[in-house]
Amino acid sequence: MTSTIIETTPKKASSRAWRKLRKDPAGIIPIIILILLISMVIIGPFLYKQNPQKTNALATLESPSAEHWLGTDELGRDVFARILVGGRVSLAVGLLSMLVGLTLGTIVGGSAGYFGGRTEAVLMRLVDMFMAIPSFFLILVIVTSFGNHPAIVIMTVGLAFWAQMARVVFAEFAKFKKSDFVEASQALGGSHTRIMVRHIFPQVLPQAIVLATLGVGWSILTEAALSYLGLGIQPPLASWGNMLQNAQQYLFLKPTLAIWPGLFIALTVLMFNLIGNTLRDVFDPRS
Amino acid sequence: MFVFIVRRMLQGVLVLFLISIFTFFLVNLAPGGPSSLVDFQSTAAQRDARLKQYGLDKPVHERYVSWLSSAIKGDLGTSINQGLPVGSLLAQRLATTLQLALAALLLASIFGVLLGVAAALNNNRWPDHFVSTISTLGMSIPNFWLGIVAIIFFSVQMRWLPASGSYTIGKSFSLADRLEHLILPASVLAFSLMPNVVRVTRSALLEVKATDYVRTARAKGLTNRMILWKHTFKNALVPVIAILGLITTVLFSGSVVIESVFGWAGLGRLAIEAANGRDYPVILGVTMLAGTIVVVVNLLVDLLYAAVDPRIRHD
Repeated sequence: MTSTIIETTPKKASSRAWRKLRKDPAGIIPIIILILLISMVIIGPFLYKQNPQKTNALATLESPSAEHWLGTDELGRDVFARILVGGRVSLAVGLLSMLVGLTLGTIVGGSAGYFGGRTEAVLMRLVDMFMAIPSFFLILVIVTSFGNHPAIVIMTVGLAFWAQMARVVFAEFAKFKKSDFVEASQALGGSHTRIMVRHIFPQVLPQAIVLATLGVGWSILTEAALSYLGLGIQPPLASWGNMLQNAQQYLFLKPTLAIWPGLFIALTVLMFNLIGNTLRDVFDPRS
Repeated sequence: MFVFIVRRMLQGVLVLFLISIFTFFLVNLAPGGPSSLVDFQSTAAQRDARLKQYGLDKPVHERYVSWLSSAIKGDLGTSINQGLPVGSLLAQRLATTLQLALAALLLASIFGVLLGVAAALNNNRWPDHFVSTISTLGMSIPNFWLGIVAIIFFSVQMRWLPASGSYTIGKSFSLADRLEHLILPASVLAFSLMPNVVRVTRSALLEVKATDYVRTARAKGLTNRMILWKHTFKNALVPVIAILGLITTVLFSGSVVIESVFGWAGLGRLAIEAANGRDYPVILGVTMLAGTIVVVVNLLVDLLYAAVDPRIRHD
């Protein structure tokens, strides 16, 4: 009996979400633009046949032409080709970092909220600690110690983001711990893992999705800043951030070199943030 | 109140202690050593001598205890690459970062609160949508890129403002010169900070507007302006103060990037130099200083909060 009641609740939330989206179709636009952006960086390199790594000392800092759509950079590499493959890297790092942060935040926040007591005291002090270190200093410490392999960059950016996630999940789990459906499941002999995963987590899911969506945007920004500073993704592998690394030296000669990668970062992050805001409105029963 | 203060202070000390353990062990257990030890021209004997000099021949927990005991006395060790005490390096750079951070904080608070009030007063009408567009842009545009674009426009094209540095080198101190150098970096940093202030101000105002005492004030026949400034605004400011703690961490992270874009020699720049040069004592020192400032700001905010709102003291 209880399980049927519980399992219908998230469904209700999602059908309410659809009704709201249909009433306000403008909320779909960012999703469409984001899908276009993602398909562009995935399919693009197959259609636009310029090698993003190939340097050409005779054709540096060129203006846009039929051959090089956005011109070439200081080493004669095709800027548009680098934007396409760099977009793959930036988006992949953003999504994977978010997954790292989400997983860690949900497990730690969820356990602290559900078990309470000593578990909560220990885990939440850990969260406090991570909240007190400015994320960029934490990232610098880790990158200094472990280098900047892309996998480390992903873990690091995720690690800078999980504590916020944990705080939200913690509050939700602590709230739902005392609710009737959890007590019912406990009385029926449900294990802690089962209750946390099957019963409480679905209640927290809408909020987690909103935070995760905003988290992707934040992760893309953080990776971009890190790579701009020369501490993230390393050339010759292109990312939107490291394309800006040298562009600042050519502000007088070729300011557009500094414009394009940033525009793509801003556009992509903007879409994730708009989608996150829409989802927040849609899931929030008060609005 | 006394118990509350003591408990919060102990919690703050505990958090700092955890940060020190975490960063120290992370940095010291990582593969590879300080950059000067990876110097290929040095002989094995020279490397051993350097290891001894920095105390790196002792086990890591012993090093931690000796680092912590001197850190408490204010001695954060010596920079490996620059040979100077970490404490004096931090002191040199802190003033520059504080200028930038405080200017950005001031701008973000003024404009953030104004925009937040405008949005809340016009809930769901065009000013509200306009403000929310601005803050979404602030959240989405990479601040370092905005800095570069600002340099392209204001420095390269229009030649109105200097592109880098916190003052003109070789010129004697002048306030106008400092301010000229401060405008661009502080505004860019403030723009990325502002969305936090706007969101909290707006939702706090909307919440207070729905309370009974505001309805009572309205029933008494007070004008909207009186209600806003006498009743709503003061109470709505409380949560705005509360996010100062969060903002401090965002400020520090932002200053790392903005100082690099505008060539400011602040703490953030020091941290990046240390990261690039694998200068462990410096990176530890910078992180501890930033953590301490965040913890102290949070403590002050908690105290202020408890002083304003008596309900909090009884938790």
